[in-house]
Amino acid sequence: MATVTREMVEKSGVNVDQLVELLVKNAAAELTTYYYYTILRVNLIGLQGEGIKEIAETARIEDRNHFEALVPRIYELGGKLPEDMKAFHDISACPPASLPEDPTDVKAMLTVLVEAERCAVRGYTYLCNLTAGKDHRTYDLCQAILNEEIEHESWFSEFLGEGPSGHFLRRGETSPFVSKFLR
Amino acid sequence: MRRFTQKDLARYNGKDGAPAYIAFKKKVYDVSSSFLWRRGKHQVLHRAGEDLTDSLEQAPHGIDLLEKFPIVGTLDEDG
Repeated sequence: MATVTREMVEKSGVNVDQLVELLVKNAAAELTTYYYYTILRVNLIGLQGEGIKEIAETARIEDRNHFEALVPRIYELGGKLPEDMKAFHDISACPPASLPEDPTDVKAMLTVLVEAERCAVRGYTYLCNLTAGKDHRTYDLCQAILNEEIEHESWFSEFLGEGPSGHFLRRGETSPFVSKFLR
Repeated sequence: MRRFTQKDLARYNGKDGAPAYIAFKKKVYDVSSSFLWRRGKHQVLHRAGEDLTDSLEQAPHGIDLLEKFPIVGTLDEDG
C-alpha cells in the first residue's frame, strides 16, 4: 500500500474504502467482459459477423488492458482482489455480456456489446465524478478508461444504426488513452 | 396495488433471501432479478429497502433502467 497516497485521498474527503470497492467491481467487470467478449468474438462469423469482429477484438483487448491498469491503483490504495475467482465474477459492476441465444443474430450480438460498453461508461463517469479534484491519480486513470469505453460504445452504436459518432477504428496500437498506465 | 411504509420497505433489503425492493418517486420497484442488485446492494453505495429518489437523480443513468423492473406498490407519503 502507498500509505501517504491513501492518506492524501482520505484527506480530500473521499471514502477510500468505498472507492476501492468500486475499483475492484470495475476491475471485475473488465476481466469478465474480456472473457465474455472472447466468446462473442469467436461467434462473430458469416457475412455480417465478420464485419464486427475487428472492433469486438479491439474492445476485448482494451478491456483486458483496463483490468491491468486498475489493479495497481487498487493495491496502492490498500485494496486487494478477491482470492476466489467466482466471487470476483459475481461482484462485477456490470452484468455478464453473455452470448445471445441465437449467435447468428448480429443485432442481438451488437446489443450485448453496446450494453456492456454503456454500463462501463456509466461506471467510469461515476468514478470520475467521485474523484475529480480530489484523487488525481484515480481520476486520471478512470478518465483514460472512460475515453476508450466511449469509443467502444460509439463503434457498436454506429453498427446498430443509432447515428454517426465521428470515430474510426484503431489504426495500430490499442489503448491510446490507457497505455501510459501500462508501461 | 400494495401500499408500503418506509418500515415495510426496509424489510425488502435483498438480504438472507428477502426480495430487493427500492422506491423512486413513490413507486416501489422489485429489482431482485437484477445482477446489479445482488444481495441488496448496488454499486457499493446504494441499498435495497430504501427510497432512492434523491440518489437516482444523481446517478449516471436515467429512470429508463429502473422502468425495466416490475412495480410492486407505492410508498406512502408519510412513510
